[in-house]
Amino acid sequence: MSYSVARGKLAEGVLERIPVRRRHALAGYMFIAPALVFLFVFALLPFLFTIYVSLHDWNMLTPIPTMPFVGLSNYTYLITQDPLFWQTFVNTVEFALGDVVISTSLGLAVALLLNTRVRLRGLWRAVYFMPYVTSSIAISIVWANIYNPSYGLLDGVFQLLNLPSQPFLSSPGQALISVIIVSVWHGLGYYMVIFLAGLQNIPAELYEAAKVDGAGAWHRFRFVTVPGLRPTLLFVVVVSTLSSLQVFDLTYVLTNGGPVNATNTLVLYMYNTAFNFLKMGRATAMAVLLFIVIFGMTLVQLRLLRERE
Amino acid sequence: MSARSVHLQRASVSLLKYAVLVAGGLVMLAPFIWMVSSSLMMPREILARPLVWFPEDPRFSNYAALSHAVSFGRMYLNSLIVTVATTLGILLSSSLAGFGFSKFRFPGRDVLFVMVLATMMIPFFVVLIPVFYIVHLLGWVNSYLGLIVPNLVTAFGIFLARQYMLGIPDELLDAARIDGASELGIYWRIMVPLSGPVLSALAILAFVYQWNNFLWPLVVIRSDSLATVPIGLNSLRIYASSPDVVNLQMAGATLAIIPVIAVFLLLQRYFVQGIAMTGLKG
Repeated sequence: MSYSVARGKLAEGVLERIPVRRRHALAGYMFIAPALVFLFVFALLPFLFTIYVSLHDWNMLTPIPTMPFVGLSNYTYLITQDPLFWQTFVNTVEFALGDVVISTSLGLAVALLLNTRVRLRGLWRAVYFMPYVTSSIAISIVWANIYNPSYGLLDGVFQLLNLPSQPFLSSPGQALISVIIVSVWHGLGYYMVIFLAGLQNIPAELYEAAKVDGAGAWHRFRFVTVPGLRPTLLFVVVVSTLSSLQVFDLTYVLTNGGPVNATNTLVLYMYNTAFNFLKMGRATAMAVLLFIVIFGMTLVQLRLLRERE
Repeated sequence: MSARSVHLQRASVSLLKYAVLVAGGLVMLAPFIWMVSSSLMMPREILARPLVWFPEDPRFSNYAALSHAVSFGRMYLNSLIVTVATTLGILLSSSLAGFGFSKFRFPGRDVLFVMVLATMMIPFFVVLIPVFYIVHLLGWVNSYLGLIVPNLVTAFGIFLARQYMLGIPDELLDAARIDGASELGIYWRIMVPLSGPVLSALAILAFVYQWNNFLWPLVVIRSDSLATVPIGLNSLRIYASSPDVVNLQMAGATLAIIPVIAVFLLLQRYFVQGIAMTGLKG
């Protein structure tokens, strides 16, 4: 460090009387202060407030000091007396599982294809990535019409292929998988781009060395590509799990949780509990429970994927 | 194996590869094509069986009819104001804090940085209700301030900027200090220009995220005059829900999607680099 060098050259002034080291520290605080104030007011404080509200009965209209303390009863109600909470929980986990597995593997497959010698790579990449930049609300409106059982595009195509009409979003049995398909279509390009970057980060020398040693295409994939891609895979799995457990836009627009709650997911249920029924205590308890699930899953995934390294 | 059969095998593998890419590409594009095509159809063409792919006589008047239902100009303006303001805020706050965390030593620095990382683990839905309440107490419900201010700082942005700035050599800063540069001058003339790649990546991610953001505006906006594009589309969906106005829904979706795709195609390289970069840093 060269504060002492800098000190010699500094002009005389009021600041000069403060030791340089302390002035340096002061500057550091000044640079981080604005961001920290915002994070405190709009993230950390609200987080603590969520936990606090979850132990109370609150409709957001009564002043904070008068809200009655109810202990853990919001949690026990959700866990022991609210079948809808469990149904949305199972829906959310099923959605996340399907979404993560399918988008991650398709994203990886397209990335592997585009990583070979292929013409018009930029064009293909653009085509697969395009849905990701578009508004989830706009594409949900389009897909709701694509799935329409009487006039939708899919029904028309099924008819051309002599397949029977399907209810898609309007049947409890097909609705969730139909939403998953939209989510995969929307997000797969993002994972493809990250996988492509990961693939290009694997040094070409490794492949050449393997080739010299007589490794075939499969062995090069198994012993060079797979280990080289592990950190990328870790990132993609963690990020996609995080985002699909929070699904809201798609289920809100495509089905609004229906039919008969077959696609009701936790964040959607929380939103309705809070802003339609004004049960803030119960809604914040849901938020805390889902947060614990997300946090736990992230830790488990990090541990599992790290161990194998 | 003869040279000829090896050649044949290679050609068929390559053919298969392109067949897969084309088939997948069609699936990716078909929703967009049908969206534009049906936005120009008469309702009976959309309802027709067997399926009609393209309108016999494109009806651009659907778009005029749409403009009676929702004000797209206003929605675009609102989205633009909110997205540009939040993106600039995120760039400024992330670069300032990134500089502070990466190039200064002060008591409590590492503890504070761990706290920033911890807030990165808090998803937005967890704090939705309290943030709404705080905005309500500040009197910002149904206002631009309410839409913008809670999103001006992201822990992820600070993290990304700090990681990148750690790689900028200290010697550069020391040399500038010797030349009498102020810390703010060092920030603006050295750190910001040298952080171009990370800041442009951050700008693109923040822009896409804010432009498409739905949950927060849904909660904080009450009047049509403040509706952003996703909010306006959502009310259009409710307004035009019968089959004989599906073409209006599709026209609305087209107006929301096509400009974004145009911008994406123009800046594709930066999008891809930006996302690849965050993937590798994360």
